[in-house]
Amino acid sequence: MPLPIPAPPDPKQMILGAEDWVEYRTGFPTLVRRFLFRNVPPTGWFHTLGSSLLTVFILQATTGMLLAMTYDPSPTGAYESIRYITDYQTLGWLVRGMHKWGASVMVILLFLHMGRTFFYGAYKYPREMTWLTGSIIFLSVMGMGLTGYLLVWDQRAYWASVVAVNINGTAPVLGPFISKFLLAGPIFGAQTISRFYALHMLLIPGLIGAMIFVHMWLVVKLGVTPWPSRPASVEEER
Amino acid sequence: MAEIPASSHAHAHTAPNDIDSAVTRSQFLTLTTVGLGAMIGAVIGVPATAYVLAPVFDEVKFEPVSLGPVSKFVADPSGQFKPIAATFVEDPSLPETSAALAWVYNTGKPSTDWLAADAMFIVFSNRCMHLGCPVAAALSGFACPCHGGQYNQEGQRIAGPPIRPLDRYEWQVKDDQLMVVNRWSVDFVDGKVKYYPVKMPGQPVQLPGPSVVNDTVPDILYPNVTYEHGTVPQAK
Repeated sequence: MPLPIPAPPDPKQMILGAEDWVEYRTGFPTLVRRFLFRNVPPTGWFHTLGSSLLTVFILQATTGMLLAMTYDPSPTGAYESIRYITDYQTLGWLVRGMHKWGASVMVILLFLHMGRTFFYGAYKYPREMTWLTGSIIFLSVMGMGLTGYLLVWDQRAYWASVVAVNINGTAPVLGPFISKFLLAGPIFGAQTISRFYALHMLLIPGLIGAMIFVHMWLVVKLGVTPWPSRPASVEEER
Repeated sequence: MAEIPASSHAHAHTAPNDIDSAVTRSQFLTLTTVGLGAMIGAVIGVPATAYVLAPVFDEVKFEPVSLGPVSKFVADPSGQFKPIAATFVEDPSLPETSAALAWVYNTGKPSTDWLAADAMFIVFSNRCMHLGCPVAAALSGFACPCHGGQYNQEGQRIAGPPIRPLDRYEWQVKDDQLMVVNRWSVDFVDGKVKYYPVKMPGQPVQLPGPSVVNDTVPDILYPNVTYEHGTVPQAK
């Protein structure tokens, strides 16, 4: 008696089976569906600023990691390694350009995103914590701008950082300590650039990443703020 | 069937000792977990904080350095204010970050005592006292390119945002070399130079008002100095 020929596997069933396999073990498919397939109020282009920021953050993190592979955070090597990235490394000019312009784009988008939140009144109850975590991200991005500026280590970067550190020093009582903290000592030295580098690529991005997680958790939990309009009852009376 | 006691109260019936005042098992475990967690946090956090914050209290020592032969720093024959730029390296192990420039002004006077009224040189620091950019010499004094600070020929602010006069270097002539041996912040009291330990740009060394205010308040508001220093010199 000939053996029965097994039916060819159904591709749809195979995919569904694979999803079930992951679902039973991790629950991730449900997580992703809950995250992406939410009910939202009528939205517009202004609601895309947050996800644009997330995209730019991912861009900055990726290009930053690539630049870190070549960059040398030392007084003797910093400028030369940047020059090597820009002039000699394959597509180095592009990766560095993306990181440089991405930084400006991120600050611009951040202001627009904050403005949107402000003018929609989206910072009000129950979304105060979303606003506060966003504020921490805002200050951290400013810190990224400050610490990243020095790393190029040309004349403009150097003097701009001297000025920025001294601005911190003018705050009474704590100011002088903050400027010595940033310089990693009483004067601009070799430790200054490595300290700025560590802040720029480890400490502040870690903080931003953690805050983005909390920020997005709150966005998903509380929902998106609709366009502030009069209640329907008021509109009917008009 | 024996019931598992829900709380220490249930125990009190059976156990003769005073178990009411004792810590329950779960309380004990909670306490040890929190306590251990705090200890682990301290073991990681205390050294990390100290490591990062220690430089906040650092001061550096100013090492004497030669600016070149005295003959290089001549007075302008026409009597104009033309200080001569002298570059030097504060810390020879870090030339990239400690390259400095001093403006050496030959006053045409004879004394080699830097504090004397007829001192031969005034050696100005080129660090602007607004926010630390390098100043350039001009016939009228000094000018800063960053935010437009202007100083006169004594290094006193005449326009723009700088908060105090330019720092000065303590100098001496040794084997025909002009040496800078220390650096001081300065301000003017009744038209006379007064020296202070070096503070960073933008931080006042003196405030207007009675001496009680201008001797103590700046040091309370800006408690940090850059260089280790001994006795602060007095101009003669």
